[in-house]
Amino acid sequence: MSSSRRAPAPPISGKNCDDPVLDYKGVDNLKRFLTVHGQLLSRKRTGYCAQCQKALKQAVKRARHLSLLPFVG
Amino acid sequence: MTNRLYESMFLLDNQMVREDWGKAKAMVLDLLHKHGAQLKSARRWDERRLAYPIEGRQRATFLLTYFEMGNEHLVALRRDLELNERILRYLMLKVEKLPEGELELAQAENAADFVVPAPPADDAPEPEKPAPERRQEDEVTVPDLDLMNVEEN
Repeated sequence: MSSSRRAPAPPISGKNCDDPVLDYKGVDNLKRFLTVHGQLLSRKRTGYCAQCQKALKQAVKRARHLSLLPFVG
Repeated sequence: MTNRLYESMFLLDNQMVREDWGKAKAMVLDLLHKHGAQLKSARRWDERRLAYPIEGRQRATFLLTYFEMGNEHLVALRRDLELNERILRYLMLKVEKLPEGELELAQAENAADFVVPAPPADDAPEPEKPAPERRQEDEVTVPDLDLMNVEEN
């Protein structure tokens, strides 16, 4: 068994997530926070605080409702 | 009985948009006016391929509107929107203020010389976006292998 583990990927948004512009109309921006299957990335990967992650979730769900983003990839 | 500002996005059937964009837009605005909405702005946001088909449609035109309305009319408006077959889907949100630049964009569409492009066929592929310009640091310099061999010899 290998002793060296792969380093975790750095967060996308960085440590400062103050007031990010998360709107359901900014589809290209939202796509950055989705996996290839269209699932939302975790807070660990997005680097967002709880409040911003919640806003991100809301924006993705609104975009999915309007068929701007897929429910499943 | 509280007047609130709402942002609303409507997905319109492309077949109706192809016939006449003005008529399609007026149909939605008439519905809003019927329920006492005071329109702030309304414009064509985009026409694009849908992420998943809705009522058999692969593409749709998005109409973005901002309006003030009493919250007591919301339920009746929603019912009318649900019953309308030409509106594939809608999203209505309460917002604090009108976004900057929204009025100018809506006015530009209302100008006489503004031409709404006709929606492409339902199975038309998505137009290709121009490739982003390559940054200089992205370019990798490949060492000349022939020269390296000469040095070794």
